[in-house]
Amino acid sequence: MKKIAKVTLTTLFVLAVWSASSYAGMVSGTVKFDGAAPEAAVISMDADPTCAGAHSESVLSEEVVVGDAGALQNVFVYVKEGLEGQTFDTPSTPVTLDQKGCQYKPHVFGVQVGQPVDIINSDPTLHNVHGLPKNSKEFNLGMPIPGMRVKRKFDSAEVMVKFKCDVHPWMNAYVGVVSHPFFSTTGSDGSFEIKDLPAGSYVLEAWHEKYGTQTMNVTVDDAAPQSASFTFTG
Amino acid sequence: MPGKSPSLYDLKKTTVWFAISSLVLLISLVAMVLEDSTREWKHWQKEFVTYSREKAEGELQKARKAVDQKKLAALEAQLVEAHMSANEQKSKVRELEKETAALAIKITQTTMRYQNEKQFQDSDRYFLEEHRLHHEDEQAAEFAKRMEERAPVIDSLKRDLEGLQAEDDARKESINEITQKARELTRQIQQLTESITRLESTVKKLSPNVATAILNAPMLDFMKPTLQIQQIVLENLYDDYFFKKSNKVDRCTTCHLGIDQTGFEDAPKPFQTHPRLELFLSANSPHPAETFGCTTCHGGSGQSVSFTTAAHTPQSDEQAAEWKKDYGWREMTHAISKMLPLSYTEASCTKCHGGVVDVPQAPKLAEGRRLARTYGCAGCHKIEGFEKQWKVGPSLEHVQSKLEPDWIIRWLMNPKEFRASTKMPRIFHLENTSDVKSAEKSDASIAGIAAYLMKNSDPIALGSLPTKGNPEAGEALVKEVGCLGCHTAAGVDANNFGPELTGLGSKVTPEWLYAWLKDPKHYSSETRMPNMRLSNEEAAHITAYLLEDRNEKFESIRLPIVKSEVVDGLAMMFLKGRLRYDDAQAKLNAMSAQERLEFIGEKTIVHQGCFGCHTIHGFEDTKPIGTELTDEGSKDVHKLDFGLIHLDHTRQAWFYQKLKEPRIFDRGKEKVYHEKLRMPDFGFNDDQAERLTTFLLSLQKEDIPLEMSKQLDLREQEIERGRYLVAKFNCQGCHTLDGQEGKVRKVFDDAGNAPPLLTGEGKKVDGGWLYDFLEKPVTIRPWLSYRMPTFEFDEESLTHIVRYFENLSEVPISYKDDTPKPTAENIEAGKKLFKAFQCIKCHKSNPEPGLSASFLAPDLVMTKSRLRPDWVVEWLMDPQALQEGTMMPTFFYDGQSPMPEILGGDALRQSEAIRDYLWLFNAEEAHGAAQPQVPQAG
Repeated sequence: MKKIAKVTLTTLFVLAVWSASSYAGMVSGTVKFDGAAPEAAVISMDADPTCAGAHSESVLSEEVVVGDAGALQNVFVYVKEGLEGQTFDTPSTPVTLDQKGCQYKPHVFGVQVGQPVDIINSDPTLHNVHGLPKNSKEFNLGMPIPGMRVKRKFDSAEVMVKFKCDVHPWMNAYVGVVSHPFFSTTGSDGSFEIKDLPAGSYVLEAWHEKYGTQTMNVTVDDAAPQSASFTFTG
Repeated sequence: MPGKSPSLYDLKKTTVWFAISSLVLLISLVAMVLEDSTREWKHWQKEFVTYSREKAEGELQKARKAVDQKKLAALEAQLVEAHMSANEQKSKVRELEKETAALAIKITQTTMRYQNEKQFQDSDRYFLEEHRLHHEDEQAAEFAKRMEERAPVIDSLKRDLEGLQAEDDARKESINEITQKARELTRQIQQLTESITRLESTVKKLSPNVATAILNAPMLDFMKPTLQIQQIVLENLYDDYFFKKSNKVDRCTTCHLGIDQTGFEDAPKPFQTHPRLELFLSANSPHPAETFGCTTCHGGSGQSVSFTTAAHTPQSDEQAAEWKKDYGWREMTHAISKMLPLSYTEASCTKCHGGVVDVPQAPKLAEGRRLARTYGCAGCHKIEGFEKQWKVGPSLEHVQSKLEPDWIIRWLMNPKEFRASTKMPRIFHLENTSDVKSAEKSDASIAGIAAYLMKNSDPIALGSLPTKGNPEAGEALVKEVGCLGCHTAAGVDANNFGPELTGLGSKVTPEWLYAWLKDPKHYSSETRMPNMRLSNEEAAHITAYLLEDRNEKFESIRLPIVKSEVVDGLAMMFLKGRLRYDDAQAKLNAMSAQERLEFIGEKTIVHQGCFGCHTIHGFEDTKPIGTELTDEGSKDVHKLDFGLIHLDHTRQAWFYQKLKEPRIFDRGKEKVYHEKLRMPDFGFNDDQAERLTTFLLSLQKEDIPLEMSKQLDLREQEIERGRYLVAKFNCQGCHTLDGQEGKVRKVFDDAGNAPPLLTGEGKKVDGGWLYDFLEKPVTIRPWLSYRMPTFEFDEESLTHIVRYFENLSEVPISYKDDTPKPTAENIEAGKKLFKAFQCIKCHKSNPEPGLSASFLAPDLVMTKSRLRPDWVVEWLMDPQALQEGTMMPTFFYDGQSPMPEILGGDALRQSEAIRDYLWLFNAEEAHGAAQPQVPQAG
């Protein structure tokens, strides 16, 4: 009898531990823009004929990109609070930032602390990629040769770090540097997805270049995906 | 039997008196011992021992917790095991030890034999050589043979010896192996518990024990007590006791026991650590306690060992009350030197740090000195070291071309009514001149000054405006050309160096302002306002904008009615000072009403000392009116007139009060008008008054030996000369320089548009070029709207400023030609790199208009005349290292070149090649380089 109880208890305990650690949650949702989308400004690239020549149509600013049904693109969503004291492996696969047609691709993205950012110049003109972090060391790298690549890492978390090109003042990009892998950037449909989040309570933050930040509390407790949606107004 | 000898004293009485006096002596002895053993400092030393012990105990506990107990236990278990296994092999060890002992004998024997044989060999060699020298061949052959025979013996002995030693080593190694583990473990355990052992011994040392109790016991403490007075005797510094000077002795450390130790930062007073030990007290700081002591800076009676007699001075009344309650403190009313309250300690820095614009590391004093310069204290008060002070107010030599007399009258009534931020103090209508009679006299004096100034100033030629300016364009210009580098204007407050630009529509005419903007020196040759090289249109726009703002409240101030009898009364008062009554009256009668007004104006200017700040015709050589302040900080307190008001009798309290309410010391006194206190009211706030008080307290003279005070070397002197000019012309209003951020920079969102940083400028630019540039600025950064003004410096100032920059960057004077002498290979490589890196993309010679700021960088044709060759290479290698945030990118990241085929891909050689090419770069090259290139296919 005693033995049975012991076995049962042990099994229960193991199950409890197993369920807490291996049932990882998912948070997904969409970011919407409420109201009439502002008209995107046309970027004049006349100052550098190489840039102007790379586009057949007029180039629009990526500051506010609103898709169908108010889907807001380029919003960086990440876990802001709730993971304190935990450490995560740093991925060695780099995130790519391309300078193509005198624009940064992507315009907004995320990276983990210590994870390399592979910066490429695909244009036959001089770019300088000027990273302006406050918590890590600032850098300003001239990339005069087409096809050049350079890797850079950030030492500390910071949301967001701005990149700019001093040669082409219209060029900028933003990277969210976080200490964990739980972040996502909204695509053209305004959706984001954060996977494999351990059970717990968190504060999510959504950042937009023009409209600032919003936060939301989410509790992840089982396998059912948690949904979270943000709405920005102009 | 002889009779009782006659006695002069009564034995019984004597005995009684003797007993009484013995008793009294005994009691007083006990009282003395008791008193001595309860002295204040002994109490603090005992407290310190207790505090230190508790602190060490706390640390011990922490250290114990910090030790990895599991690891320790494991190590200890291993140690026990190691000892056990060593014990098991004891017999083997003993056996080995025996063998080594036996071997040792053998080794000694063999060594001796070996050495003997070697000696024989040496001896035979000697004889062989001797015989050979004397051609005794036979004997020589004999010795040669003997040597030959012995050689193998020596060799074999040596081999034996080596064999024996190897055997010995092997045995020792075996013993070692058996005991080594235990030793290694013991070492590891010791390492792990090192801090615990150290702290335990500290705690033990600090714990009460019989030995220290005996050493400190009353009557026994003359031998070697652990509680004793600590003192620092200062060899080169003296205390002045009026007729005798004696070496300064500071006993402060008797109670301030943790003052020079780290770790007592949070300890209660008096044990707290002194702030900034890297600067004070520690032996390798610039102010070691052994050399400077404590009272040199803090004041107070260094020899005293009680809280009260050391002359501690409280910061505030609350602190005084607290001290009275806690320590029975009372003020040492008659002490020669009382301690400075902590908030004023910086005042002592100037005892040793003279001849500098700002005393380093003394922010409050520096602020105080800056205020004294800004408000022109030295205009009225002679202060040694301030001889070069410029006049802070504008020149009034041509004032009739600038102002209306009514404006002057309203202004003098109360300058702050026109502009709250003005530095002009209020002189009239203050508390001691607020009664009706005094007010009438003040009104008459003001009208007199206005009349005098109108009469005694020369007009200047003012042209008319070429065009009616556009105020909106003017506002933009005020924000863009650089006015904000000195003035608060257009709602932007970054600098309040020059006057705030408000209400000018109520003050000056368009013609005057236009002429002033175009060329300030035309109106006033001494003005510090530089020439902004404004075009006629620009000047007209700014004029239009600045004159839009009027101060209607000020304009509506009613002008006072000046009664002729008051004017006459004042005139008579001034005349009677020099003449007999009848003569005075006659002189007055000879004057017209206007002349009388001008006369009292002139006399009022003398009386109030207006010429201290303003250049006024007729007062070019008049002596300033204020008390000399050179020694004010050490002035006897009883020489200060505290009047009838209740105030602490300290210098700092008096200075502070005087600065806040200068006329308060007349309160309750009966004085005639012209005998009343004259110090004007500057409207200082509490902070300003405290900083200026620190400055005043710093004005003291003490005999500090030359070797103890800071002596500026040539480089430092040249830097100070530059700093004086930098302060005078407010270079740091725009530029980051000498460790201070340019004040106007915060106005800019994009740092690329702000005036350039000048950190390291001396190393960057050529001295000769800088001289020319300062004399006649040229455009370097065409994208900046801010203009470097033309200051019209004289040759001496220009040289001082150039040397200042060079000295800040530690660039020595050099006559060596440092022009690069490039090789053809370098020039070719430089040119290729210049093209590959597309330098011309931003560094255009004639940029087409309309390009945004970031497209533009300095014209490189200027490089060879402007920059130092070494700097150019350093800059090319890593621009961010020299100027954080610069738009100039590096092409050699992590020291690697992206062009491996040029000059072996060596970043340094490539940088030098670019530099060499730039030294040949001229307008033609620039034009060629700027031609559009066919982009290469990526």
